[in-house]
Parts: sequence; structure tokens; C-alpha cells
Amino acid sequence: MANSSVRRALVPAGLAAVLALAACSSGGATSPQATSGGTGSSSAAPTGPLTVWVMGDATTKFDTLVAPFTASTGIKVKTVAIPWDSVDQKMTTAVASGDGPDVVQVGLSKLRTYADTGALLTLDDATVAGHANLASSNFLDGVAGKATAVGGKVVSVPWIADTRVLFYRSDILSAAGISTPPATWDELRADAKKLAGRGAGKYGYYIPQWDSPLPVEMTWDFGGDIIGADGKVNFDTPEFRKAVDLYTGLYADKSVPTAGDFDQTQGFVSGAAPMLVSGPYLAAAIKDAAPDLAGKWSVAQLPKGTTNTSLLAGSNMAVWAKTAHKDAALALLDYLSTPATQVKWFQLNGDLPTAKAALADSALTSDPLVSVYAAQLANAKIVPLVPNWDGATGKALLDALNSIALKGTDKETALTALFAATKGQSIG
Amino acid sequence: MRPRATPYVLVGPATLLLLAFGVLPILVAGAVSLTDLDAAGLGDVSRVRGVGLANYAELFGDAAFWQAMRNTAFYVAVGVPSVVVVSLVIALLLNRSQSRFFRFLRSLYFLPAITGIVAIALVWGYLYNTQFGLVNYLLSLVGLGPVPWLSSPGLVKVSVALVAIWRGTGLNTVIFLAALQGVPKEYLEAAALDGASRLRTTWSVVLPLLRFAILFVTVTTVIAWLQFFDEAFVLTKGGPLGASTSISLFLFQQGFAGARFGYASAGSVVLFVVIAVITVLQLRGRRSDVEY
Repeated sequence: MANSSVRRALVPAGLAAVLALAACSSGGATSPQATSGGTGSSSAAPTGPLTVWVMGDATTKFDTLVAPFTASTGIKVKTVAIPWDSVDQKMTTAVASGDGPDVVQVGLSKLRTYADTGALLTLDDATVAGHANLASSNFLDGVAGKATAVGGKVVSVPWIADTRVLFYRSDILSAAGISTPPATWDELRADAKKLAGRGAGKYGYYIPQWDSPLPVEMTWDFGGDIIGADGKVNFDTPEFRKAVDLYTGLYADKSVPTAGDFDQTQGFVSGAAPMLVSGPYLAAAIKDAAPDLAGKWSVAQLPKGTTNTSLLAGSNMAVWAKTAHKDAALALLDYLSTPATQVKWFQLNGDLPTAKAALADSALTSDPLVSVYAAQLANAKIVPLVPNWDGATGKALLDALNSIALKGTDKETALTALFAATKGQSIG
Repeated sequence: MRPRATPYVLVGPATLLLLAFGVLPILVAGAVSLTDLDAAGLGDVSRVRGVGLANYAELFGDAAFWQAMRNTAFYVAVGVPSVVVVSLVIALLLNRSQSRFFRFLRSLYFLPAITGIVAIALVWGYLYNTQFGLVNYLLSLVGLGPVPWLSSPGLVKVSVALVAIWRGTGLNTVIFLAALQGVPKEYLEAAALDGASRLRTTWSVVLPLLRFAILFVTVTTVIAWLQFFDEAFVLTKGGPLGASTSISLFLFQQGFAGARFGYASAGSVVLFVVIAVITVLQLRGRRSDVEY
């Protein structure tokens, strides 16, 4: 336990400090118009320096990526790494104080929340005119333009794509007499049960207990959706119930580990959990952790229900509404959206591009894993842009499913609680 | 300067700081708790609306809030006696000698208190890990199966509290040690002359003289455990299924992950009242024996 006076200050005072800042900033006279120099006057070269918030810890690589941009435009770029865990606090503080970066990377699951704060610049056609690379037709349809618009307004441009595919250990599957990866969720459940029968501490599949999109993907795969025709969250559908049965059935079969701290990379490498649905970052982690495993594992598209729609995740880049360097920020976005830049970022950091031209680049298509990702990306949807997916709807979804699977809560009781908790959430 | 003003001038700066960082935040939280302030409201104050006591009404009907309250009560009930008793016993044992070895032991017990919580979380996270953890490995040596320390809703509170007890003991041991130095030698010598055993001396002479230190440690420890946050936050994020979520962590989740500042403020006001009441009760309870 820390010093108690520090602790006493922590929650109420920290919260209040944020709020006090909010009160201050509201009175500030710095409107975006007043500070954004030279909108439309293309004669004046945009100037920096720009501060860019990049999520995760890839600042050095990002510096490498933007070095040519600085060299050719003279705009200095300062990269600040925001750890994934503190993204919320950082953004909240920035919104409250009005003291944000110039360009910020926004995970798609956070986009709605941040757009609602009004902190992100609207990137309408007039704003992005003159930046050919920012045209929405250049990007994957699932994230381009209207697909990630909030309240009809586009506030970000696609940056990196991420999708979920089925990872499987071909050596373990074939040893168990399974020659091909499961093509349907029913097959997956059967295969998982078979693989779990290998002995104590062996499982067939792994469900990350924090992964709220997984049950959504399952719902999509059974032909349903979690958003009703009225734009409101609706879990009360037959398709979602099928997804629940699949999700909790894997637990009931004892095919998945129940420990919340199960390590998916180690589980996969050791063979304890030889199948799971994850993103390209897992491939990078496996290659790092066990290079000698090459050839013994592969990826496939998601198993089918009636379809096999996967999650389209990733991040967009947005411009801070109160930036003093709007033109420079847009120039940077344009540079980042260039197919060549996106291919380079894939080579530097392993993130999949969002520009169609970059996805078709031979640097990517020559990689057999990437061809699976690319095919899956074409059949992938983003998590609905409801307010605060991570903290509200997604959390309620996980709580309901995990309470059935881990605590044995009655299914209908848990679902009724879920319907009540998510009622009224809307993408509108 | 008039002499009567002098004391006010002397306490003035400290009072201002107290008002700015102690009282004002509580007042702001109280005001915010009557609104629906969220992330959108932070960006644009015109979107903030007064909602009266609706946040409180929702809070008292929120199962997650009551779960966090129950968890916090568990933490206090388990943590406070453990920390007080363990650190007192360690202090009494360490006080037996001033030798170099005992001084080394003292710093050893203090080490957890000065180690960063993130480092602690990493290490304990690995110790507790169900698959690879040292604890489960040791259990397997004696033929016991793996225990899901951090992933069983029933066990996680105990695992998290254990780390906090381990971490909170060092500082309080030092406080008790300091108090033990203040026990007059004459009393101990008198007790020895009367033929009192070591245990008897400790029970009848030393412990009564430590009453104030025990009260101090108890009050600060109760407050600390009512605001229990760090260990649960870094080890489990309050999971699984909210089984290790304390009130502070619940407020943090609502306020920062959920961006519901009005709701979180209502919770922080409730927590403030609970802590204030419990602290006042403890200080009152002490009055009766102050004449000892």
C-alpha cells in the first residue's frame, strides 16, 4: 500500500483536477479558426513542428518512417508513445485541458468516444481537398470514409488494419488425425474437444477472456448482427444466442483453459492451446518467441457459420481540432496514407496497411500469411461505433459470457442482465 | 504586524494549499456528481446537464457498485488486522537486537514499501501465473494441482490482498520500531526486576505504551485499504468478473475507462463519506483510553 495521503488524493482529487481543467479550458479564447494559420492559402508552406501521439511503443520506428517527410517538407515531427493502458486517461486529460497533440492515432474501438468529445477535426471533402492520398476510395471499404464516420462526420483517416484469423498448429492437428483446419465453427468445436482429450493441461482452443469482439464475430458468422435496424444495440437475436452457445459450449466441453492469465503465445508455442483466433500481432509474437516452430503452424480464414465475417480492427489517424498546424498535420496524414509509406510501415512494424494499393503490393502478397490476412480483410467488419465500446457494451458482453462460462450463471439470467445493461446504446 | 495576526499568517500558506488540493476537489466532485458530465461534456461544457441526485440513485441500484463495496469491505476486514498484527510482530522481533544482522533484516522488510508497484505487479503476476508460476510449481512438487490464483473469482481477492499486505507491512513495521525506541528502559528494567517474563513484559508493558502508535497505524491502514487500488489495478484490472474490483478501482473504471465523470464523482463522494465516518468513529473510540 502506498502512502495513504497520496492514495486519498488519487481518485477524487485526480478526477476533480481534470474537471477543474475542463472548466478553465472552456473559457479559453483559442478557437480552432483563430489558431489554424493559412487555411486555403496554399501559397504559404505548412509549418510544424508536429506532435504525434502513437499508441504502443513503436516511436523509434515511427521516427524512421517520418524521417523522409521531415527531410522533404522541413516539418519536424515529435513522436510521443502512449501506452495502450493509459490511452483513456491521456485523451481525457488532453480533451479537458485542450492541450493535445497535433495528430493522434485512435484505435477504432475508441473512435466514437473521442469523436464525441469534439476534439478531432472534421475531415470533410473541403478539408482534405488537395491531398489526393486521403480520398476515401483509396482505403479498405470497411474503414474508409463513411464506414468510420461518427454522426455523419468523418473525423479520421484509416492508418493500420488488423483482422482476426484462425491460428492453428498443423503438426498437433495432424497428429490428432485432423488434416485440415476447421472450416466451420461446428468443426472447430468438435476438433477442439478432440485436441483437449490429449491429456491434463492440454486444450483445443483458447478464448481470451478480455476479447469482446470474438462473440461479435461469432454472431456475424451465424448471419446476425448486434445492431438492430434502428441503429440500436440488440443482443436479443437467435444468431447471438447461437454465438453464446458456441462460446460457452467450448468451455462446457472443457476445450478451453479457464485461467484468465493463460498466455496465448506460450499456450500456442507449447501446444497447450493449438488453435485460437487472433490478429497478425500473434504471428509476430510466435516468430519472436519460437522461430524454430516455423512450418508447424499456419493461419486460415475464420471458420464459417453461414458466413465467416471477421473483425476489422486497427487504428485511424486524426487531427486535433485545436491544432495550430492544421496544414502540416494534413500533409503528414497524406504522407502516411501513401501506399509506399504504408508498405514501409508494414516492413518496420508488421502492421497491415489500410490503403488498397499497399495491400496489393508484392512486398505483402509474397508473404503467405499476409495473403490470408488480405483475403480476410475483404470480409471483415468493424465493431459498431457505439459510445465507449470497451468500457460499456463490450464489457457487459464479456461479463455476461464469462459469468456463464466461469461461474456457471444461468444463461437466461446472464443474457437478461446483458440486454438491460446495453439497452439504449446506439450507433446514431 | 499585529501579534494576533501572526498565527494566521503562519498557517496561511498551508491552509491555502489544503483548500486548493484538499477541499476544492471534494467540492468540485460534489458539484460534478449532480451532472451528467462525460467525455463529450469535457470538450463542450454546453453539453453538460444537471441531473440532480440521479447519479446517486443509479449508483445505489448498481450491482457492480455493491460488488465493489463488498470487495472493499473484504479487503479492509482481511487487510487491516493482517497488516497491523504482522507488522507489530515483526517490529517486536526486530527490536530484540540492534546488531548489524537485525539492521539488515529491517531494510529487507522495508524493501517492498519502496519498490515500484509496476515491478511488483510483474513479479507477482509471474509468481501467481497458473501455467508457469513459481507458486504453482512449488505446489506441484508436493503433488498439488495448479491453483488459479488470479483467475478464480473466489480466490483472486485473497491473492491480491496478500500482495498488498506484503507491501504494506514494511512501512508500518518502521513506525512500530520507532515507537518501540520510545519505550522507557526503566519500565523494562523494573519489569525484569519483578521477574516478569519477556512475553509478560511485552503484553503488559510494551503494548500498552504502543497504543498511540497502534491507533495511528490502524487509522492510516484502514483509510489505505478503503482506498485500495494499486495492487488490484496492476494485477487483475479488477477481474475476473469484477471479483477483485475495489471502490477506488470501480470509480477509476467509471471515470476514465467509461468517461462517466458525473457518475464516478457521485461514487467518490460516497467513498469520501464512508472514509470520513469510519475515521471519526476510530478517533472517537480512542478518547476513552487516552488517560491511560
